[in-house]
Amino acid sequence: MLRALLSRELRDRADRIADAAPDGYDCFGGHPRGVEMALALTRPLYDAWFRVDSQGSEHLPAHGAAVIAANHSGTLPFDAMMLHADVVRRSSPPRSPRTVMDRFVPALPFYGTLVARGGGINGTRRNVEHVLESGHLLVVFPEGTKGIGKPFRDRYRLQAWRVGHVELAMRYRVPVIPTAIVGPEEQMPALFELHHVHPFGAPYLPIPLTPIPLPVRYHIRYGAPMALHEDYDGDPRDPEILQDAALRVKARVQALIDEGLAARRGVFR
Amino acid sequence: MSRYLITGATTAIGEALIRALLSCGDTESILAVGAEQVRRATVEIDGRVRYVRTDLTRERNLRQLLFGPAREHGVEVVIEMASHRGRSATGPRAHALNVLETRAMLRLSEEHPTIRRFVYRSYGEVYDVSNSLPSLIDEAHPLDLRPSAPQWVRDRVEADLGVCTRFGMSDLSIAVLRAAECLAPRSGSQLYDYLGSEVCFRPLGFDPVINLISGEDLGRALALAACSKAQGIFTIPGATTLPLSEIVRRTGRTSVPVPGPLMTPLYRLRRAALGTDFDYAINRGRLHFGGILDGTRARTILGYAPDVSVTFSLE
Repeated sequence: MLRALLSRELRDRADRIADAAPDGYDCFGGHPRGVEMALALTRPLYDAWFRVDSQGSEHLPAHGAAVIAANHSGTLPFDAMMLHADVVRRSSPPRSPRTVMDRFVPALPFYGTLVARGGGINGTRRNVEHVLESGHLLVVFPEGTKGIGKPFRDRYRLQAWRVGHVELAMRYRVPVIPTAIVGPEEQMPALFELHHVHPFGAPYLPIPLTPIPLPVRYHIRYGAPMALHEDYDGDPRDPEILQDAALRVKARVQALIDEGLAARRGVFR
Repeated sequence: MSRYLITGATTAIGEALIRALLSCGDTESILAVGAEQVRRATVEIDGRVRYVRTDLTRERNLRQLLFGPAREHGVEVVIEMASHRGRSATGPRAHALNVLETRAMLRLSEEHPTIRRFVYRSYGEVYDVSNSLPSLIDEAHPLDLRPSAPQWVRDRVEADLGVCTRFGMSDLSIAVLRAAECLAPRSGSQLYDYLGSEVCFRPLGFDPVINLISGEDLGRALALAACSKAQGIFTIPGATTLPLSEIVRRTGRTSVPVPGPLMTPLYRLRRAALGTDFDYAINRGRLHFGGILDGTRARTILGYAPDVSVTFSLE
């Protein structure tokens, strides 16, 4: 039924992803038809509400593993949904990335299952290692919940940037694709956060200014792949190397954000 | 190595293991041990198999078995699978078979003149499953060490760890196989009992993927471990990975989602009324978050890859 919501091109993409994964369900609960369902459910948001503008998708590798490291914002994770949908729509051949979600998400009834079917994975180390070992695209948000929950005054200023993604990229010798998402910061500014309320294990309960996200325009920009494993000779577990590499990725993402902000003509355009 | 002693041999998995060992050309003899009164012909399917009925909870019997028939046969490999399979088997008597017998079997095997290898069949259910742990379960995954866990789980974890503590300290080469759930009768499968009802309740809003292993694959994995010299723990996945709702559907049952807090009283009521075995407390994590065993180590070291899909027919 949901398939009917897809355009012919998207149906074709979903079918090509299904053909490339004949085994059906993966160990995370993902399924090619779940990707199709995710595409169908996000289509109104992607095409009509957020009118996603995507640039630089030629940097998404046609095959092999890679880490897509993006900024995270917007109170609720619509940015993750749009980025996931954008990678499926723009990659050539079509690829379904595995998007890392916070550990409380699988405990959310319905949503946790829906996200897992579409390609979301619980952000534990063994899970992400398996994604890279299997040659998939891995989407990570190194700011974590600090990014999505930052106050409006800090919009488009990257928060503390974790180093795990660069360690994995160097260990598995895969590129990091710095990615900026411009738009979600203004979609539903948080009024305040209830830090003593933990629904389903969430770190806090956000109270947004608007009950639904505003129809801001999303601009997704993929940067050139960074082959960090070629740039550093030392042990990829060395904290200094990791910190340096992570700061380079962070600076690249910040530069892409700044370019996107300079290029956009307004929050809704 | 080609002379084997198998405990728990009268189960479906025991039978599959005997067939797998017999299909290896160099198997000379198999001493199949069980507590059940069975027709010899059902176990002794080949001239190389001999069935011995004994109660292994008594150490005297165990000693007699190992230093009597096992020594006569020159047994080199022990494949330990004896345990109470039902959740309802509780108390000291169940503990005696589930844990103490395994410990005694290992200790006596170390003293034995001909035994060189010890393979212990453990369970994927010994692993802890929660939303904060990896969905992909490898050998280093945390175990379910909750003091509040039912005896069915605690005994399995204790027996497993009891064998693991002998790694590197024993002259035997030891392998522990933590296998995915085998949907077979008399195999201790909680899911098999769960699917025994026409209506299967599952937590509302959750539909985890579950990995199942066929009896043939588990028998083959145990046979490969018996024939190998590799030591350590091996997680053994099966060939079938499906969401719970799909497993229920393929078994011809009706899946009814109910709010999570109702699951415990519903299944407690079912157990009390019908005397069934499924215990939601054992399966809460799995019925919410799944958890799939990672067979990488078993594949690279034992050469095991799941091959036979599970058939969804209940006896």
